[in-house]
Amino acid sequence: MRGDHGFGAVRTAARLTAFMTRVAVALAVLLAPACGATGPDSVAGKGTLVVGVRPDLPGLGLRLPDGTFEGFDVDVAAYLAAKLGAKVRYVAVLAADREAVLLDGRADLVLATYSITQERKKRVSFAGPYHVSYQDIMVRSGQKGIGNVRDLAGRRICAVAGSNAAERVVEERGVAAELVPATDYDQCLALLKDGALDAITTNDVILAGLAHRAGGGLRLVNARFNEQRTGVGIRKGDLDGCEALNRAITDLYQDGTAARLLHKWFDGTGLDLTSIHIPRFEGCE
Amino acid sequence: MIRLSRRPAPGPLAHAGTGPPAGSVVPRRIRLISGVTVAALVLLFTVLATTSQSARTGLRIIGHGAGPQVVATAGLYFALSDMDGQIAQVLLLGKDHPERRQAALQLYDRRRGEAGRALFRASALAGDDPAQTRTTQAVLDGMGRYERLATRALQLDEQAGHQAGPPPERVLSIYRDATDLMREELLPQAYNLTLESGTNVRRVHDETRSSLAAGRAVVAVAGVLALGCLAGLQVFLARRFRRVIGPALVVATAIAAMYAFTGFGLPAREAETLLTAKRDGFDTVLSLARARAIGNGMRADQTRYLLDPQRADTYEHTYLDAAQSVLYVEAGNVREYHERMSAAAGPSGFPGFLGAALTERDGEGARAAFLAYVRFQGADATLRALPAQDRHGEAVAVRLASLGEEFDGYDARVLALSERHRAVFERAIAQGEDALADLLFLLPAAMISIAVLVVAGILPRLNEYR
Repeated sequence: MRGDHGFGAVRTAARLTAFMTRVAVALAVLLAPACGATGPDSVAGKGTLVVGVRPDLPGLGLRLPDGTFEGFDVDVAAYLAAKLGAKVRYVAVLAADREAVLLDGRADLVLATYSITQERKKRVSFAGPYHVSYQDIMVRSGQKGIGNVRDLAGRRICAVAGSNAAERVVEERGVAAELVPATDYDQCLALLKDGALDAITTNDVILAGLAHRAGGGLRLVNARFNEQRTGVGIRKGDLDGCEALNRAITDLYQDGTAARLLHKWFDGTGLDLTSIHIPRFEGCE
Repeated sequence: MIRLSRRPAPGPLAHAGTGPPAGSVVPRRIRLISGVTVAALVLLFTVLATTSQSARTGLRIIGHGAGPQVVATAGLYFALSDMDGQIAQVLLLGKDHPERRQAALQLYDRRRGEAGRALFRASALAGDDPAQTRTTQAVLDGMGRYERLATRALQLDEQAGHQAGPPPERVLSIYRDATDLMREELLPQAYNLTLESGTNVRRVHDETRSSLAAGRAVVAVAGVLALGCLAGLQVFLARRFRRVIGPALVVATAIAAMYAFTGFGLPAREAETLLTAKRDGFDTVLSLARARAIGNGMRADQTRYLLDPQRADTYEHTYLDAAQSVLYVEAGNVREYHERMSAAAGPSGFPGFLGAALTERDGEGARAAFLAYVRFQGADATLRALPAQDRHGEAVAVRLASLGEEFDGYDARVLALSERHRAVFERAIAQGEDALADLLFLLPAAMISIAVLVVAGILPRLNEYR
C-alpha cells in the first residue's frame, strides 16, 4: 500500500510537471508574437502573392492579348514567389501607380522596373535589387560617333512624357543634347527609324526590349552611365519579407536562373550579357 | 539539523488524535503536497536552465558567430576593393613614378593576402550555411580570375611605358574586364555576406528576446507556485505535527526564492544586454563597415575616373551613388553633391551608412569623422575641376597623393568610431555571458541541495508513520 502511495505521488508530480510545461509552452506561444518581428502582413508566409508587373514593356513585363503577362520581371516574380512557397497572381501596374498599389494593398510585391531611391524608401521598402541596369543609348545600327553620353551633345534625343531619362542627360550630365518630345517609346522608335531622332536614352533593359520589338536596324551602344538598381517593392517595414526575398534573390543568382532569364529575354538585343552583374543588396532595415 | 526538528511531540502522535483513517491520509497528503512542490521546483529549474541556455546560445551566435563574421566579410570587401583600386593606381601612374608604382604594387600584394585570410575566416564562420558557403567559394574562384586579368593588364601597361595618365586602349580594355569582374561580381558578393550576418543577428536577437520574455513569465508562475507549495508544506507540517518549522525546508525555501527572484530578473537584464549589444554596438559597427566598404570604392572610382576617359561619366556617377549611400543629400550630379556637402552644418540628420552611425553619443568622434568626410569631398571637387590638360603627368600624380591623404584621414576616423562601438558590443556580450555563467554554474548545486533539503524536511515526518 505504502509503495502504491509513493508511486502515486511521483505520478502526480509527473503529471503536474507535464501540465506546467504545457502552460509554459502556451505562455511562450502567446508572448512570442508580441516580441518577435513577424507581422501578420509580411509577404513571407502568405499563400498567394499578388505581384504588380508592367503591362507595357516588352521583355520586362508585357500583357498579352489573352490577359497573361510575360517578361523578365514576370519570370523573376514567379521564381521568388516559388522560393517563398507561395502561389502568384499578377496585376498590371504602370510606372505612376507602383507606390499606390503597395500602399493600398492591391499588390503584395511590385516588380516593375522599380528602381530603388532614397526618396521612394521613405514610403515603401525594397528587397534586392534583383537586377542592376544602366541608362544606355540606342541608335540606328549604321550610326557612327556615339559611344558615350558626352557624344550626345548637339544630337536629337527622345524625351518621353513621364520619363526623366533625357532630362538627366542635359541637366545632370550637362550635355547639350536637343530634346525631341514624344508621347511614348513607340513614337520614339518611329522617329528614330525615320531619322527624325539620333538616339533614345533610358534604362538599358527597356531599350533592349524596344530593339527586340523593332526587329533589327537598331543597336545599344553600351555606354552604361547612371546605374539603376531595380528592386522588389514591398510594404514599408516588412523586415521578414524583405530578408526572405533577399535570400531568394541570392539563390536566383547562385543557381544560374538570373543568367538564364537575362539570356532568355535579352539575347540578340545588343545588351552586353558577357558577365552577369550580381546585385549588391540594399539591406532591409 | 534534522535532529533539531525531531523534538518529541508534546502529546500523542497526531494520527492518534484524529482516529485510524488519518494513518493513511496524513502521509498521503504529505506526499501529495511534496509531489506538487517538487513538480513546481522542477519546472522552475527547467525553465531557468532552458531560458539561460537560449540566452547563452543567442549571445554565442551574435557575439562569436555573426558579429565576427561582419568584421571578417567587411575586411574582405575592403581588401578586394583596394586591390582593384591599387591596380588602377599603378596603371594611371605609368612609368613616371617608379616609387609610387612600387608602393601601390606592394599594397596590392598586402591586400591580396588580407583578402585571402578574410575569406578563409568568413568561410570558417559561415559553418554549414549552404548559401554563404557557395558565396565564399564563388569569391575565391573569382579572385583567381581577377588576378589573371590584373596581371595581364600590368604586363601590357609595363610594355606600353606610358607617362602618368590614361594608358593605351589595349591596357584599358583588359583592365575594364578586371574591374567589372571585381565591382560587379566579387564585391557585391562580399557585401551581401556582410549583410547576411546582419540579418542573422537581427533574427537571433529577436528570437532570443522573445524566448527570454516567455521564460520570465514562466519563471514567475513556477516560482510563485513552488514557493507557495513550500510554504504550504511547512504550514501543513507545523499544524499536523505541532512543531516548530523545519530548518531544512526553510533553507530550501530560501534557495528556491533566491533562484525564483534571480530567474525573474535575469531574463530582463539579459534582454537589455542583448539590446545594448545590438543597437549600440553591432548595428553601428555594421553601418560603419558598410560606410567604409563603399567609401573605399569611392576612392578607387576617383582613380578610375582619371584612368578611363571613355567611362569617366560612368565612374563619376558610381562615385556619386556611393557618396549618397554614405551620406545622403539630394543631388543630381557630383557638383551639386559637393555644394550641398560644403554647406552642411553638422553631422546629424543625414540618411546613409555614415549618417546613421553619427549619433549624439559619439560627440567629438562623430564630428571629426563628419568633417573629415566633408574635406575629402572638397578634395574631390578640386580633382574634378581640373582642366583636361592637367589630367595626366605630374599634376595627376600630385593630386592622387593628396586625395589619398584626405581619404586616409577620413577612413581612420571612421575606423576609430567603429572600434569604439565594437568595444561596446564585445563588452555587452561578455557581460551577458558572465551573468549567465554565474547562474548556470550554481544551478546544479542548487537543484541538488533543494532536493536533499526537501527530502530531509519531510522524511522524518513520514518516518513517524512507520
